[in-house]
Amino acid sequence: MDTRDAHTWLADHGDYLFRVARRQLHSDELAEDAVQETLLAALAAQARYTGDASPRTWLTGILKHKIVDQIRRQVREVEIPRDADGEEAVDSLFKQDGHWAEPLRPWGNPQTEAELGQLRRVLDECADRLKPVMAQVFSLREVAGMETEEICKELDITPTNCWVLLHRARLFMRQCLELNGFAKAGAA
Amino acid sequence: MKWMPTCRETTALASRAMDERLPLSSRMALRLHLAICENCARFNRQLQEMRHLFREETAADDAAAGLAPEARRRIASELHKKLGS
Repeated sequence: MDTRDAHTWLADHGDYLFRVARRQLHSDELAEDAVQETLLAALAAQARYTGDASPRTWLTGILKHKIVDQIRRQVREVEIPRDADGEEAVDSLFKQDGHWAEPLRPWGNPQTEAELGQLRRVLDECADRLKPVMAQVFSLREVAGMETEEICKELDITPTNCWVLLHRARLFMRQCLELNGFAKAGAA
Repeated sequence: MKWMPTCRETTALASRAMDERLPLSSRMALRLHLAICENCARFNRQLQEMRHLFREETAADDAAAGLAPEARRRIASELHKKLGS
């Protein structure tokens, strides 16, 4: 029940928690809400914090639950795409016979800080352009590293839906990265 | 019997293989296709690379912006309220 603790959390970990949340929720507003809910929950649960984990790890654990709550709420509001729009986008990548419509270009290997910074921006932009549910599933899997089984359960979607969404998201992300200058210039 | 998946089907298998262990028959089909198809082999490598980039990027928490001052104030005041101070 120490007032100082909670305010140290905000000062010390607020930005970090916000960035983690922002990356998964793709919205400043939702990320701010998640940080607030996390700190309030942490305050209420303070007595249970044993100090085994660092405060940041402990808070991040709480944040993960809050993020999943947020995503679950959003998913309830958005119909899971059965096929239609997403499938059309996939169609455009392949020929009728199932071969690639265009050859894939190899990726560059960013080394300098500037190149890496550029890459982070492109990654964020591409992820932001994913359709809502696809973005959530993709983030939970590739950014948060959750298992698909866990994601299906949390979001209440079938494994098949989950795989379809991940497949589309990955096809889209790959193409988006290639189109936004991540492909090695001039390479075959 | 269809033993060789198309590129399109292969990308679905490659994607799913990122998430769980495929049944043996699917694993064989995937491996066979990847062995002879340059584009799909590249796709498969890029999926791994993408995962690496995302996980690495999440760990590197420098570049991106933090909480806006306005949001920080709001959260601080919510915490205050909760503490009854």
